[in-house]
Amino acid sequence: MCSLDNIIQAVGKEVIRLILGLIGVLVVVVVNALVLTWVERKVSGHMQRRIGPKEVGPYGLIQPFADGLKLLAKELLTPANVDKPLYYLAPVIVFIPVLVSFIVIPFDGFLQVKDINVGILVILAFSSLSVLSILTAGWGSNNKYSLIGATRSVAQNIAYEIPLLLSLLPVIFMANSFSLRDIVEVQRQGWFVWRWQFFAFLIYFISATAETNRTPFDLPEAESELVAGFHTEYSGMRFALFFLAEYTNIFIASAIATTFFLGGYLGPVLPGIVWFFIKTYFLVFVIMWFRWTFPRVRFDQLLNFSWKILIPVAFANLIVTGGILKL
Amino acid sequence: MVKEIAEKIKESISSVEPHITPYELRGYHLFIEATKSNIIEIANFFKRSGFYLADMCCVDYIDYLEIVYLFNNHSKVCRIKVALKVEPDKPSAPTISHIYNIAHWYEREIHEFFGVLFDGHSFMTYLFLHDQIDFYPLRKKQIPVPEEDKKLLNSFKPEEQEDGFFLNLGPQHPSTHGVLRVVVKMNGEYILEAIPVLGYLHRMHEKMAENRTYQQFYPNAARMDYLGALNFNLGYVTTVEKLCGIEVPERAQYIRTITCELNRISSHLLWLGAFLADLGGLTPFLYTFDDREQILDILEAVTGSRLTYSYFRFGGLFNDVDDDFVDGVKKFINRLRSRFGMYERLVTGNVIFINRVKDIGVMDYTYPIRYGCSGPVIRSLGIPFDIRKHEPYGVYDRIDFKVAQGTNGDNMDRYLVRIQEMEISLDIIEKALKDMPSGPINAEKLPKKLKPPKGDIYHTVESPRGELGVYIVSDESDIPYRMRWRVPSYSNLMTFPELARGTLIADAIATLGSYDLVIPEIDR
Repeated sequence: MCSLDNIIQAVGKEVIRLILGLIGVLVVVVVNALVLTWVERKVSGHMQRRIGPKEVGPYGLIQPFADGLKLLAKELLTPANVDKPLYYLAPVIVFIPVLVSFIVIPFDGFLQVKDINVGILVILAFSSLSVLSILTAGWGSNNKYSLIGATRSVAQNIAYEIPLLLSLLPVIFMANSFSLRDIVEVQRQGWFVWRWQFFAFLIYFISATAETNRTPFDLPEAESELVAGFHTEYSGMRFALFFLAEYTNIFIASAIATTFFLGGYLGPVLPGIVWFFIKTYFLVFVIMWFRWTFPRVRFDQLLNFSWKILIPVAFANLIVTGGILKL
Repeated sequence: MVKEIAEKIKESISSVEPHITPYELRGYHLFIEATKSNIIEIANFFKRSGFYLADMCCVDYIDYLEIVYLFNNHSKVCRIKVALKVEPDKPSAPTISHIYNIAHWYEREIHEFFGVLFDGHSFMTYLFLHDQIDFYPLRKKQIPVPEEDKKLLNSFKPEEQEDGFFLNLGPQHPSTHGVLRVVVKMNGEYILEAIPVLGYLHRMHEKMAENRTYQQFYPNAARMDYLGALNFNLGYVTTVEKLCGIEVPERAQYIRTITCELNRISSHLLWLGAFLADLGGLTPFLYTFDDREQILDILEAVTGSRLTYSYFRFGGLFNDVDDDFVDGVKKFINRLRSRFGMYERLVTGNVIFINRVKDIGVMDYTYPIRYGCSGPVIRSLGIPFDIRKHEPYGVYDRIDFKVAQGTNGDNMDRYLVRIQEMEISLDIIEKALKDMPSGPINAEKLPKKLKPPKGDIYHTVESPRGELGVYIVSDESDIPYRMRWRVPSYSNLMTFPELARGTLIADAIATLGSYDLVIPEIDR
């Protein structure tokens, strides 16, 4: 007899938890991307006085599946003279950091794949990797637009990672922990966004929009300048992977904002996971709102904004927070 | 003004004999016959006196080729035709491209169409044509292109230059609005050199005109500028009417004015959406299209088409407007007026938008003269040059309206001028609707076959993009001997290489968007 208990004992509880967690993460990633494609289409539609998709399924709910099927069925075009290993590798490595980041996000009090005591560092370390895949894609594509897009992306990510980190540090000071769950639990006394960290929240949110390459900071794929930027030469499922990663990145950025500033899964009446998703999707909606409202900033303005405004303000905020806590 | 200029030019260049011509008949005030030895002196004189080169074209009279230079002044209308006779075999003429930058392109065009070699011109390559065409298309007799000429025409090959990073913006690119190709030499994100390459939509309308009667050519006009189609219709129709001496009834004139202004607004609305899309804001495009749709519906009910109209007729109109039209237009005026506030709040005040367009692509006062650009592009500089005011056609002389003006000549001003122009157009429509008389809409006793008297005529109207000129040479037959279209986008685009040099690529694309280019109009 081979019962479930025996298996669990043989491989250890922790490993089973991890495997189940990873499956859960994959499901969340895919479902999230499907939901966000639909939401983005509907949001943009209503902002542009259209109604968005409505033909496939009720309210066009099946539309993302139709899109996915189309992308799956499409021929994978490989342009001549691409750097083959890099070109094939880029859509794959765009996905790894995305998956890892999910492990430490607390969806609810107990719904977390693994609570690591340096959780936020894991997320920041891995999300920096996504720029590597963009660079790989841009370089490997043998296309001038892709290359410009990739170089822009590198400069942009370097510039915006600093204020991103600096805006999270004061919260870590106040919570006295790197663990995401601890940070949420501390907020039982009040959300950090209302406890002196409003500016940090703003800086984080702006930087996160830039990190995820969304309008008004979507320079790596600025379509009126660079056609489609770093993924100009990608088609079919390879393009879909970039697409999936972009939506997942938006979700992660919003999830971190929720966790750090908006009290994560905390909230009255409803279960924690519902609160978590409500807050996260509200921030996702705001990012979409940006996209369909603002024009794009220019490259030098983008860098100036980070180096001359965001970083000094974030630094000042950090020093003031640190000073007050010490006193 | 005319007599003064005639005196002055006689004084400064002794070999020149200016003739005063009837402006109502010919469309120009002065006629000067130049020779190869004094054409540079004449061009220099006009540049000194603040004249711009409105148009430059060539006519093949079989015995000789005549190169026609048309000069005009921005402050007071004084159109001057300078004609230079050139021998028909192995023709050559001195270049004036070092005096007027726009002549650079005009001379390339004349070279590939007529085979006239301009001495001293540095860049005699193809402008519109491609290397499969082995004769000069606009010559009356078929003349093959000689080998050495072909080599010269083919000499532009940016892809073979090794040094530098070249980027082809276009012919397929999201922000070139059609099929413009700009070869850009870059250093990082900065543009070192931008060379527009034209001809991807070249259809040789000027040659088509020489094979059709005046009536048959009429639909072609709308195909050149599909956004300002009615204005192009009007430009062509009024030129031919002026040439034949046809009187147009009052009511028809009013309706022409109203429909043309509606067309101008629809063109500006499309530009507004496209310009903001170039800057990365995609949503306004849908909003402006929503407004534009109302105009298209109104015009469709009257003209029968939505984009490439053929509404006017020689001496009148295709059909009369009814009360529904008047009501629809009034409703539309109210609607658009209420929308301007929204555009103001959403776009004009947006800090990202302001940072992207303010002080970008700044022109100075030499541009209008050197490049002959027109329309909103130079009104943004504060030059109140508007054909509707200066050489009124239709009923513009009976309607009181002001001319939109900017101050700096940057992208922001070009945006503001167009927004103002839409408001002014609404005023014009409102006033014209109030004054519109009843009566016939077509001229009586019009011959079936139009055979205009011998001679040439240059006539201009203000299209949404600027000065649209039609130059027709008639030989008393029912087919034009030569028809030349002076299109506004052409000279506006010519300023791009100079404005783009040294700027970021994003700024260059914003500047390109601010011109409101319509490529089929440039390529013809």
